[in-house]
Amino acid sequence: MMNTMRLAEKAVAEETIKITARDVQVWYGDKHAIKDVNVDILANTVTAFIGPSGCGKSTFLRCINRMNDTIDICRVEGRIALDGEDVYDRRVDPVQLRAKVGMVFQKPNPFPKSIYDNVAYGPRIHGLARNRADLDAIVEKSLRGAALWNEVKDRLSEPGTGLSGGQQQRLCIARAVATQPEVLLMDEPCSALDPIATGQVEELIDQLKTQFSVVIVTHSMQQAARVSQKTAFFHLGNLVEYGDTDDIFTRPQDPRTESYISGRIG
Amino acid sequence: MTDLTQTPAAIPTPTPAPRKGSLMVADKATIRRNRAEARFKAYGIGAICIALIALVFLLFTVIRDGAGAFQQTYVSIPVTLSADVVDPKGNRDPAEMAKVLTMSYGKLMDAALTDWMAANAVQIEGLSQADIKGFFSGQASAELRNMVLADPALVGQQVDATVLASSRVDGMFKGRVTDESAARDAKTSSQQIALARAMEEKGALVTRFNSDFITNPDASDNRPEAAGIGVAMLGSLYMMLIVLVLALPIGVAASIYLEEFAPKNRWTDLIEVNISNLAAVPSIVFGILGLAAFINFMGLPRSAPIVGGLVLTLMTLPTIIISTRAALKAVPPSIRDAALGVGASRMQTVFHHVLPLAMPGILTGTIIGLAQALGETAPLLLIGMVAFVSTYPSAPPEGLMDPASALPVQVYNWATRADPAFFERSSGAIIVLLIFLLCMNLLAIFLRRKFERRW
Repeated sequence: MMNTMRLAEKAVAEETIKITARDVQVWYGDKHAIKDVNVDILANTVTAFIGPSGCGKSTFLRCINRMNDTIDICRVEGRIALDGEDVYDRRVDPVQLRAKVGMVFQKPNPFPKSIYDNVAYGPRIHGLARNRADLDAIVEKSLRGAALWNEVKDRLSEPGTGLSGGQQQRLCIARAVATQPEVLLMDEPCSALDPIATGQVEELIDQLKTQFSVVIVTHSMQQAARVSQKTAFFHLGNLVEYGDTDDIFTRPQDPRTESYISGRIG
Repeated sequence: MTDLTQTPAAIPTPTPAPRKGSLMVADKATIRRNRAEARFKAYGIGAICIALIALVFLLFTVIRDGAGAFQQTYVSIPVTLSADVVDPKGNRDPAEMAKVLTMSYGKLMDAALTDWMAANAVQIEGLSQADIKGFFSGQASAELRNMVLADPALVGQQVDATVLASSRVDGMFKGRVTDESAARDAKTSSQQIALARAMEEKGALVTRFNSDFITNPDASDNRPEAAGIGVAMLGSLYMMLIVLVLALPIGVAASIYLEEFAPKNRWTDLIEVNISNLAAVPSIVFGILGLAAFINFMGLPRSAPIVGGLVLTLMTLPTIIISTRAALKAVPPSIRDAALGVGASRMQTVFHHVLPLAMPGILTGTIIGLAQALGETAPLLLIGMVAFVSTYPSAPPEGLMDPASALPVQVYNWATRADPAFFERSSGAIIVLLIFLLCMNLLAIFLRRKFERRW
């Protein structure tokens, strides 16, 4: 039943390409971490990156919004384009890029500030709100978007760090959503959460794809199968196979993919 | 994983192992380990006890020797300001009266004491004129003169003057001067001591809290009873202000740049090593540097708080940089990721998120650096702050260029003087210095508690 539902959804999703990666190479010092990655990520789609630990999926994710810039020894080559514009072009300010490409991290990392200030921080620094009422509206919309509003609406001034793990991660999603990005990158967003919180976040991801292109890195193949329409399998820095999630899990083309999915490597 | 699914049948069923002794009896290895642990705990307690004893001993000796500096003996007798002496021309012209020397007022004091003895029927065998003269502090006649010059209407009247007694008389009430010591001391005699006892009985000698010790400038070798730490405290305060204003922003900016912006390469490694080295450079070397750079090369005045402040700034900078970098390093990287992830610039990340979280550590480091600078003596000796300064520096900013002293230097200065009364002052100044350090450390703890946030 799940499969038929997802097939139906896939049919309506428009197949526009949001992010194009061509011949992407990443080095950490002398270590060649990503080799020749070519991938097209679609708009309004959840794309999952799976693969064993250390295969480069998180590294590649962090290349998309240039978070790797903060690592001195990291070097990126090749072309990653957002809507046809190379994000590694000299004219691109990574700060502007990151406003368009939001990110949610593995460990919930709310700022040690109030719930309100956590969500309002992005809009404030990007000048998205003209006045307090605007900002209030953005905060409410973002928290509703992250399915957290009902739980926190009465305690917006309390510290964000006082929430439970699952709530904190949804707060981080709300914070990312508040800057009105076009792409949302999620680096193992559920690995620190219990099954119930994971379920809530997954449900949320499913809703988010109506507005954004979501890219999620996950260790859990079940999660990839549940939330994504496209799946990319990374192994030892190579993008081994990329295709519709159903195809990857039911008819993998590459023997390495098959081994991983069936639990023989990893 | 595959092993686990395939081999359960292969695991042999466990057979009950032969018992190796009861749990109720500790075996040899356990006894040995427990003994080692008990020994280690005893060493720890012993170390703490030694530290505590040292601290108690230090505090005890300092307070025993220095508490006297906060009490002072004053002579309180009626003095007739005879017009013949203080205003020989008889025209009450302050300019004319200012020509009368302090020495003449000394004679008035001596006469007043003789009169008081006659009026109270105090007679002491063998009391010489020198004993009477030496009863008062050299400061007493100067004070009387200032009083008259400030208010010429007092001339010819009898006033109740309360003036400093000499350090020998003062020492008698603090147990420093006894009949035995008086016999060996040219500056006092047993007659003088007898007079002091008689005056105390009649209430003409009072001992009270010595506010002059806090407010007076240093005094010459002959009048320890008039010496105070006012100029030294003000000089130390000026220097601390300079250190705070210069070292905190420079140190924090340098550490933020090194920690958050600078590329990690050979140059930054070199800088880092050198900052650590700088923290270990003996303070007297900074004194030489200050002498060469600020006084000889830049031509700043000697003994001035500005030079002392600059030297102490150089000395404090490594401490502040090292503690600030440690505080910045302690901020979890996930906070930086979070801020960068929503599109904050590096500077916004640092100033909105990292710096507030590092604040308690930075403040603590700064205050500890300041406390270190406050107690530093050696570099100040080299830039001339050991000079005798008996006038207050004016208000900043000009006052920063005026000669001043510093608390630790004043302690050193007094400790080197011969008169035991100065030794008492020296210990008194140590008490004041320790109180300042205690307050600064309390402030550091308070700020740490206040700004500490959990995540």
